[in-house]
Amino acid sequence: MSPLQQYALLFGMAVATVGFVAMLYLIARSFGRTVAEPAKDVPFTAGTLSRSPVWVRYHVRYYGFALLFLAFDMEMAYMYPWAVVYREVGMVALLDMGVFLAILFLGLVYGWSQAALRRQ
Amino acid sequence: MTLVAYLLLVFVGAYVVAVVEEWSTSGRLRPTAPLLHGLALLARESLTPRRHDRNLFEAGPTLLLVAAVLALVALPLAPGLLPVELATGALWLNAALVYVAVALLMAGWGPDGAYAMVGGFRFVGQFIGYAMLIVMPVTAVAMRAESLATIAVVESQAPLWNVLAQPLGFVLFLVAAMAVCFLPPFDQPVAAAELAGGVFGEYTGVRLVVVRLGRLVLVLTLALSVTVLFLGGWLGPWLPPAVWSLLKTLAVVLVMLSVGRYLPRLRTDWALEWGWKLGIPLALVNILWVGVVLLVGPA
Repeated sequence: MSPLQQYALLFGMAVATVGFVAMLYLIARSFGRTVAEPAKDVPFTAGTLSRSPVWVRYHVRYYGFALLFLAFDMEMAYMYPWAVVYREVGMVALLDMGVFLAILFLGLVYGWSQAALRRQ
Repeated sequence: MTLVAYLLLVFVGAYVVAVVEEWSTSGRLRPTAPLLHGLALLARESLTPRRHDRNLFEAGPTLLLVAAVLALVALPLAPGLLPVELATGALWLNAALVYVAVALLMAGWGPDGAYAMVGGFRFVGQFIGYAMLIVMPVTAVAMRAESLATIAVVESQAPLWNVLAQPLGFVLFLVAAMAVCFLPPFDQPVAAAELAGGVFGEYTGVRLVVVRLGRLVLVLTLALSVTVLFLGGWLGPWLPPAVWSLLKTLAVVLVMLSVGRYLPRLRTDWALEWGWKLGIPLALVNILWVGVVLLVGPA
Protein backbone atom coordinates (compact mmCIF):
# COMPACT_ATOMS: atom_id res chain seq x y z
CA MET A 1 0.00 0.00 0.00
CA SER A 2 1.20 3.50 -0.75
CA PRO A 3 1.47 5.96 2.14
CA LEU A 4 -1.50 7.89 0.78
CA GLN A 5 -3.69 4.79 0.87
CA GLN A 6 -2.50 4.03 4.40
CA TYR A 7 -3.43 7.46 5.65
CA ALA A 8 -6.75 7.19 3.85
CA LEU A 9 -7.31 3.91 5.70
CA LEU A 10 -6.42 5.55 9.02
CA PHE A 11 -8.84 8.38 8.27
CA GLY A 12 -11.43 5.75 7.47
CA MET A 13 -10.77 4.08 10.81
CA ALA A 14 -11.31 7.37 12.62
CA VAL A 15 -14.58 7.97 10.78
CA ALA A 16 -15.70 4.38 11.38
CA THR A 17 -15.00 4.70 15.10
CA VAL A 18 -17.09 7.86 15.28
CA GLY A 19 -19.79 6.00 13.35
CA PHE A 20 -19.62 3.15 15.85
CA VAL A 21 -20.14 5.60 18.71
CA ALA A 22 -23.07 7.18 16.86
CA MET A 23 -24.55 3.71 16.43
CA LEU A 24 -24.29 3.08 20.18
CA TYR A 25 -26.08 6.38 20.80
CA LEU A 26 -28.86 5.36 18.40
CA ILE A 27 -29.26 1.98 20.13
CA ALA A 28 -29.47 3.73 23.51
CA ARG A 29 -31.99 6.19 22.08
CA SER A 30 -34.17 3.28 20.96
CA PHE A 31 -34.42 2.07 24.58
CA GLY A 32 -36.00 5.31 25.69
CA ARG A 33 -35.31 8.96 26.33
CA THR A 34 -34.08 10.84 29.35
CA VAL A 35 -36.88 12.12 31.56
CA ALA A 36 -36.42 15.73 32.62
CA GLU A 37 -36.72 16.01 36.38
CA PRO A 38 -35.68 18.83 38.69
CA ALA A 39 -32.07 18.86 39.93
CA LYS A 40 -31.14 15.91 37.75
CA ASP A 41 -28.87 18.04 35.59
CA VAL A 42 -26.80 19.56 38.40
CA PRO A 43 -23.11 18.67 38.11
CA PHE A 44 -21.82 16.67 41.01
CA THR A 45 -20.60 19.02 43.73
CA ALA A 46 -22.82 19.36 46.77
CA GLY A 47 -26.29 18.87 45.38
CA THR A 48 -26.58 22.46 44.21
CA LEU A 49 -25.03 24.42 41.40
CA SER A 50 -21.63 25.64 42.48
CA ARG A 51 -21.74 29.24 43.67
CA SER A 52 -18.64 30.39 41.85
CA PRO A 53 -18.29 29.71 38.13
CA VAL A 54 -16.22 26.73 37.13
CA TRP A 55 -15.13 28.03 33.73
CA VAL A 56 -12.52 30.41 35.04
CA ARG A 57 -8.81 30.93 34.59
CA TYR A 58 -7.11 28.05 36.31
CA HIS A 59 -3.72 28.47 37.90
CA VAL A 60 -1.59 25.89 36.14
CA ARG A 61 0.95 25.33 38.86
CA TYR A 62 3.20 23.21 36.70
CA TYR A 63 3.97 25.86 34.09
CA GLY A 64 7.70 25.57 34.76
CA PHE A 65 7.56 21.96 33.65
CA ALA A 66 5.35 22.92 30.73
CA LEU A 67 7.91 25.39 29.35
CA LEU A 68 10.74 22.85 29.66
CA PHE A 69 8.45 20.28 28.08
CA LEU A 70 8.17 22.43 24.94
CA ALA A 71 11.97 22.43 24.55
CA PHE A 72 12.21 18.67 25.03
CA ASP A 73 9.29 18.00 22.73
CA MET A 74 10.93 19.97 19.92
CA GLU A 75 14.16 18.10 20.52
CA MET A 76 12.40 14.76 20.11
CA ALA A 77 11.39 15.79 16.61
CA TYR A 78 15.11 15.75 15.74
CA MET A 79 15.74 12.52 17.61
CA TYR A 80 13.52 10.32 15.47
CA PRO A 81 15.30 10.72 12.10
CA TRP A 82 18.61 10.54 13.97
CA ALA A 83 17.61 7.27 15.63
CA VAL A 84 16.77 5.67 12.28
CA VAL A 85 20.16 6.40 10.66
CA TYR A 86 22.14 6.05 13.89
CA ARG A 87 23.82 2.71 13.21
CA GLU A 88 24.62 3.68 9.62
CA VAL A 89 26.36 6.92 10.54
CA GLY A 90 28.02 5.51 13.64
CA MET A 91 30.39 7.37 15.93
CA VAL A 92 29.73 10.79 14.36
CA ALA A 93 26.02 10.47 15.11
CA LEU A 94 26.73 9.60 18.74
CA LEU A 95 29.00 12.61 19.20
CA ASP A 96 26.64 14.99 17.37
CA MET A 97 23.61 14.00 19.38
CA GLY A 98 25.74 13.73 22.53
CA VAL A 99 26.64 17.40 22.32
CA PHE A 100 23.03 18.33 21.52
CA LEU A 101 21.62 16.30 24.40
CA ALA A 102 24.32 17.56 26.78
CA ILE A 103 23.29 21.16 26.08
CA LEU A 104 19.66 20.25 26.55
CA PHE A 105 20.44 18.38 29.75
CA LEU A 106 22.38 21.41 31.04
CA GLY A 107 19.21 23.39 30.34
CA LEU A 108 17.24 20.94 32.47
CA VAL A 109 19.80 21.20 35.28
CA TYR A 110 19.73 25.00 35.03
CA GLY A 111 15.94 24.99 35.17
CA TRP A 112 16.11 22.69 38.17
CA SER A 113 18.56 25.03 39.92
CA GLN A 114 16.21 27.96 39.25
CA ALA A 115 13.30 26.06 40.86
CA ALA A 116 11.43 25.48 37.60
CA LEU A 117 10.84 21.86 38.60
CA ARG A 118 8.59 22.67 41.50
CA ARG A 119 4.92 23.25 42.09
CA GLN A 120 4.71 27.01 41.77
CA MET B 1 -9.75 -9.24 5.48
CA THR B 2 -6.70 -8.53 7.64
CA LEU B 3 -8.49 -5.55 9.08
CA VAL B 4 -11.58 -7.58 9.97
CA ALA B 5 -9.55 -10.34 11.64
CA TYR B 6 -7.51 -7.74 13.50
CA LEU B 7 -10.55 -5.83 14.72
CA LEU B 8 -12.22 -9.04 15.87
CA LEU B 9 -9.13 -9.96 17.89
CA VAL B 10 -9.03 -6.44 19.31
CA PHE B 11 -12.67 -6.65 20.31
CA VAL B 12 -12.05 -9.95 22.09
CA GLY B 13 -8.93 -8.45 23.65
CA ALA B 14 -10.79 -5.42 24.99
CA TYR B 15 -13.41 -7.75 26.47
CA VAL B 16 -10.73 -9.80 28.18
CA VAL B 17 -9.20 -6.60 29.57
CA ALA B 18 -12.61 -5.72 31.02
CA VAL B 19 -12.88 -9.12 32.71
CA VAL B 20 -9.34 -8.83 34.06
CA GLU B 21 -9.98 -5.29 35.29
CA GLU B 22 -12.95 -6.41 37.34
CA TRP B 23 -10.98 -9.34 38.67
CA SER B 24 -8.09 -7.09 39.68
CA THR B 25 -10.34 -4.75 41.67
CA SER B 26 -12.98 -7.05 43.14
CA GLY B 27 -11.18 -10.40 43.11
CA ARG B 28 -14.07 -12.08 41.29
CA LEU B 29 -13.73 -13.59 37.85
CA ARG B 30 -17.04 -13.15 36.05
CA PRO B 31 -16.71 -13.56 32.28
CA THR B 32 -20.19 -12.25 31.49
CA ALA B 33 -20.10 -9.19 33.74
CA PRO B 34 -18.77 -6.65 31.17
CA LEU B 35 -21.47 -7.65 28.67
CA LEU B 36 -24.26 -7.35 31.25
CA HIS B 37 -22.90 -4.05 32.61
CA GLY B 38 -22.62 -2.67 29.11
CA LEU B 39 -26.17 -3.62 28.18
CA ALA B 40 -27.49 -2.23 31.45
CA LEU B 41 -25.67 1.05 30.89
CA LEU B 42 -27.06 1.29 27.36
CA ALA B 43 -30.57 1.09 28.73
CA ARG B 44 -29.95 3.69 31.42
CA GLU B 45 -30.55 7.41 31.11
CA SER B 46 -27.66 9.49 29.82
CA LEU B 47 -27.87 12.79 31.66
CA THR B 48 -26.31 16.03 30.50
CA PRO B 49 -25.29 18.71 32.99
CA ARG B 50 -27.22 21.98 32.88
CA ARG B 51 -24.67 24.31 31.36
CA HIS B 52 -22.35 21.94 29.54
CA ASP B 53 -20.26 22.90 26.55
CA ARG B 54 -21.93 20.57 24.11
CA ASN B 55 -19.08 20.12 21.63
CA LEU B 56 -16.42 19.36 24.22
CA PHE B 57 -18.75 17.24 26.35
CA GLU B 58 -19.67 14.99 23.42
CA ALA B 59 -16.24 14.97 21.81
CA GLY B 60 -14.27 13.90 24.90
CA PRO B 61 -15.25 10.21 25.14
CA THR B 62 -15.37 9.79 21.36
CA LEU B 63 -11.90 11.26 20.94
CA LEU B 64 -10.58 8.96 23.67
CA LEU B 65 -11.85 5.94 21.75
CA VAL B 66 -10.65 7.27 18.39
CA ALA B 67 -7.16 8.00 19.74
CA ALA B 68 -6.89 4.53 21.27
CA VAL B 69 -8.08 2.81 18.09
CA LEU B 70 -5.77 4.84 15.83
CA ALA B 71 -2.78 4.09 18.04
CA LEU B 72 -3.71 0.43 18.08
CA VAL B 73 -3.96 -0.18 14.31
CA ALA B 74 -0.27 0.68 13.85
CA LEU B 75 0.76 -2.25 16.08
CA PRO B 76 1.20 -5.73 14.59
CA LEU B 77 -0.20 -8.91 16.13
CA ALA B 78 1.68 -11.12 13.66
CA PRO B 79 3.71 -10.60 10.45
CA GLY B 80 0.63 -10.52 8.21
CA LEU B 81 -1.76 -9.22 10.86
CA LEU B 82 -1.21 -5.48 10.75
CA PRO B 83 -3.93 -3.28 9.26
CA VAL B 84 -1.76 -0.26 8.44
CA GLU B 85 1.91 -0.84 7.70
CA LEU B 86 3.15 2.67 8.32
CA ALA B 87 6.84 3.36 7.73
CA THR B 88 6.64 5.68 10.75
CA GLY B 89 4.60 3.35 12.98
CA ALA B 90 6.38 4.14 16.26
CA LEU B 91 6.02 7.88 15.67
CA TRP B 92 2.36 7.42 14.77
CA LEU B 93 1.80 5.63 18.08
CA ASN B 94 3.16 8.65 19.97
CA ALA B 95 1.16 11.09 17.89
CA ALA B 96 -2.10 9.24 18.49
CA LEU B 97 -1.50 8.85 22.23
CA VAL B 98 -1.14 12.62 22.66
CA TYR B 99 -4.85 12.94 21.93
CA VAL B 100 -5.64 11.03 25.11
CA ALA B 101 -4.60 14.14 27.05
CA VAL B 102 -6.71 16.33 24.74
CA ALA B 103 -9.70 14.04 25.19
CA LEU B 104 -9.44 14.13 28.97
CA LEU B 105 -9.08 17.89 29.04
CA MET B 106 -12.16 18.22 26.80
CA ALA B 107 -14.14 15.84 28.99
CA GLY B 108 -13.02 17.79 32.04
CA TRP B 109 -13.96 21.20 30.68
CA GLY B 110 -17.20 20.14 29.00
CA PRO B 111 -19.64 19.44 31.84
CA ASP B 112 -18.95 22.66 33.78
CA GLY B 113 -18.42 20.70 36.98
CA ALA B 114 -15.70 21.61 39.45
CA TYR B 115 -14.45 18.06 40.03
CA ALA B 116 -14.32 17.22 36.35
CA MET B 117 -12.36 20.40 35.66
CA VAL B 118 -9.81 19.67 38.37
CA GLY B 119 -9.41 16.14 37.02
CA GLY B 120 -8.84 17.38 33.49
CA PHE B 121 -6.12 19.82 34.48
CA ARG B 122 -4.51 17.20 36.68
CA PHE B 123 -4.23 14.90 33.72
CA VAL B 124 -2.58 17.57 31.59
CA GLY B 125 0.01 17.95 34.37
CA GLN B 126 0.48 14.20 34.48
CA PHE B 127 0.83 14.19 30.68
CA ILE B 128 3.74 16.65 30.88
CA GLY B 129 5.34 14.28 33.37
CA TYR B 130 5.02 11.05 31.40
CA ALA B 131 5.17 12.20 27.76
CA MET B 132 8.96 12.21 27.55
CA LEU B 133 9.09 8.76 29.11
CA ILE B 134 6.97 7.46 26.24
CA VAL B 135 8.98 9.15 23.49
CA MET B 136 12.55 8.60 24.66
CA PRO B 137 12.42 4.80 25.17
CA VAL B 138 10.71 4.51 21.76
CA THR B 139 13.66 6.42 20.27
CA ALA B 140 16.09 3.94 21.80
CA VAL B 141 14.05 1.08 20.34
CA ALA B 142 14.12 2.75 16.91
CA MET B 143 17.91 3.11 17.15
CA ARG B 144 18.26 -0.64 17.53
CA ALA B 145 15.75 -1.41 14.78
CA GLU B 146 17.10 1.29 12.40
CA SER B 147 13.50 1.92 11.49
CA LEU B 148 10.28 3.33 12.87
CA ALA B 149 8.16 0.60 11.26
CA THR B 150 6.67 -1.60 13.96
CA ILE B 151 7.31 -4.78 11.94
CA ALA B 152 11.03 -3.92 11.74
CA VAL B 153 11.07 -3.16 15.46
CA VAL B 154 9.85 -6.67 16.27
CA GLU B 155 12.21 -8.30 13.77
CA SER B 156 15.18 -6.46 15.29
CA GLN B 157 14.48 -8.27 18.56
CA ALA B 158 15.03 -11.75 17.13
CA PRO B 159 18.55 -12.12 18.68
CA LEU B 160 17.61 -10.53 22.01
CA TRP B 161 14.38 -8.98 23.22
CA ASN B 162 14.53 -5.30 24.04
CA VAL B 163 13.46 -5.96 27.61
CA LEU B 164 16.91 -7.53 28.11
CA ALA B 165 18.82 -5.24 25.74
CA GLN B 166 17.37 -2.04 27.24
CA PRO B 167 15.88 -2.91 30.65
CA LEU B 168 15.90 0.72 31.76
CA GLY B 169 13.81 1.79 28.77
CA PHE B 170 11.37 -1.04 29.42
CA VAL B 171 10.73 -0.01 33.01
CA LEU B 172 10.32 3.66 32.10
CA PHE B 173 7.96 2.85 29.23
CA LEU B 174 5.85 0.50 31.35
CA VAL B 175 5.43 3.12 34.09
CA ALA B 176 4.60 5.78 31.50
CA ALA B 177 2.14 3.40 29.85
CA MET B 178 0.29 3.06 33.14
CA ALA B 179 0.19 6.85 33.41
CA VAL B 180 -1.26 7.17 29.89
CA CYS B 181 -4.13 4.85 30.84
CA PHE B 182 -4.55 6.72 34.15
CA LEU B 183 -4.42 3.41 35.98
CA PRO B 184 -3.60 3.42 39.69
CA PRO B 185 -1.29 4.78 41.09
CA PHE B 186 -1.65 7.42 38.34
CA ASP B 187 -5.45 7.66 38.54
CA GLN B 188 -5.48 11.32 39.58
CA PRO B 189 -7.94 12.50 36.90
CA VAL B 190 -10.62 9.98 37.85
CA ALA B 191 -9.68 9.50 41.52
CA ALA B 192 -12.84 7.93 42.89
CA ALA B 193 -12.16 8.69 46.53
CA GLU B 194 -11.51 12.42 46.21
CA LEU B 195 -13.00 13.68 42.93
CA ALA B 196 -16.14 11.52 42.80
CA GLY B 197 -15.30 10.15 39.38
CA GLY B 198 -13.39 13.23 38.29
CA VAL B 199 -13.23 13.76 34.56
CA PHE B 200 -15.84 11.15 33.78
CA GLY B 201 -18.02 11.78 36.81
CA GLU B 202 -20.74 13.51 34.80
CA TYR B 203 -20.98 10.81 32.15
CA THR B 204 -23.84 8.36 32.50
CA GLY B 205 -25.61 5.79 30.36
CA VAL B 206 -24.43 5.35 26.81
CA ARG B 207 -21.77 8.04 27.14
CA LEU B 208 -20.25 6.09 30.02
CA VAL B 209 -20.21 3.02 27.78
CA VAL B 210 -18.09 4.95 25.28
CA VAL B 211 -15.79 6.20 28.06
CA ARG B 212 -15.27 2.71 29.46
CA LEU B 213 -14.74 1.25 26.01
CA GLY B 214 -12.17 3.94 25.23
CA ARG B 215 -10.32 3.19 28.46
CA LEU B 216 -10.30 -0.57 27.77
CA VAL B 217 -9.00 -0.15 24.22
CA LEU B 218 -6.41 2.27 25.58
CA VAL B 219 -5.15 -0.27 28.12
CA LEU B 220 -5.04 -2.89 25.36
CA THR B 221 -3.15 -0.48 23.08
CA LEU B 222 -0.51 0.31 25.66
CA ALA B 223 -0.09 -3.34 26.65
CA LEU B 224 0.31 -4.33 23.00
CA SER B 225 2.80 -1.51 22.44
CA VAL B 226 4.88 -2.73 25.41
CA THR B 227 4.76 -6.19 23.83
CA VAL B 228 5.75 -4.98 20.37
CA LEU B 229 8.45 -2.56 21.47
CA PHE B 230 10.08 -4.51 24.29
CA LEU B 231 8.81 -8.08 24.62
CA GLY B 232 9.55 -9.28 21.11
CA GLY B 233 6.00 -9.01 19.73
CA TRP B 234 5.02 -12.24 18.05
CA LEU B 235 8.43 -13.92 18.49
CA GLY B 236 8.38 -17.23 20.33
CA PRO B 237 8.60 -20.98 19.74
CA TRP B 238 5.91 -23.59 18.98
CA LEU B 239 2.76 -21.48 19.15
CA PRO B 240 1.43 -19.41 16.22
CA PRO B 241 2.74 -15.79 16.18
CA ALA B 242 -0.59 -14.09 16.91
CA VAL B 243 -1.10 -16.30 19.98
CA TRP B 244 2.29 -15.24 21.32
CA SER B 245 1.40 -11.57 20.86
CA LEU B 246 -1.90 -12.02 22.66
CA LEU B 247 -0.40 -14.04 25.52
CA LYS B 248 2.33 -11.48 26.15
CA THR B 249 -0.21 -8.65 25.92
CA LEU B 250 -2.40 -10.40 28.47
CA ALA B 251 0.58 -10.73 30.81
CA VAL B 252 1.35 -7.01 30.46
CA VAL B 253 -2.31 -6.16 31.07
CA LEU B 254 -2.25 -8.22 34.26
CA VAL B 255 0.86 -6.40 35.47
CA MET B 256 -0.49 -2.96 34.57
CA LEU B 257 -3.82 -3.55 36.29
CA SER B 258 -2.54 -5.24 39.43
CA VAL B 259 0.61 -3.24 40.33
CA GLY B 260 -1.34 -0.12 41.23
CA ARG B 261 -3.42 -1.91 43.84
CA TYR B 262 -0.41 -2.09 46.13
CA LEU B 263 0.68 1.54 45.77
CA PRO B 264 -0.73 4.80 47.12
CA ARG B 265 -2.12 7.29 44.60
CA LEU B 266 0.62 9.53 43.24
CA ARG B 267 -0.07 13.26 43.41
CA THR B 268 0.28 15.10 40.10
CA ASP B 269 3.13 17.30 41.28
CA TRP B 270 4.99 14.29 42.62
CA ALA B 271 4.49 12.47 39.33
CA LEU B 272 5.85 15.56 37.56
CA GLU B 273 8.88 15.87 39.82
CA TRP B 274 9.76 12.18 39.67
CA GLY B 275 9.21 12.18 35.92
CA TRP B 276 11.53 15.13 35.32
CA LYS B 277 14.16 14.76 38.02
CA LEU B 278 14.57 10.99 37.81
CA GLY B 279 12.73 9.74 34.72
CA ILE B 280 14.19 11.98 32.03
CA PRO B 281 17.83 11.67 33.17
CA LEU B 282 17.35 7.90 33.24
CA ALA B 283 15.78 7.97 29.77
CA LEU B 284 18.77 9.93 28.46
CA VAL B 285 21.13 7.42 30.10
CA ASN B 286 19.13 4.69 28.37
CA ILE B 287 19.61 6.34 24.96
CA LEU B 288 23.33 6.74 25.63
CA TRP B 289 23.61 3.13 26.79
CA VAL B 290 21.84 1.83 23.69
CA GLY B 291 23.98 4.06 21.49
CA VAL B 292 27.26 2.81 22.95
CA VAL B 293 26.14 -0.84 22.87
CA LEU B 294 25.12 -0.52 19.21
CA LEU B 295 28.53 0.90 18.28
CA VAL B 296 30.77 -1.51 20.19
CA GLY B 297 28.51 -4.57 20.28
CA PRO B 298 27.99 -7.21 17.57
CA ALA B 299 26.17 -5.97 14.47
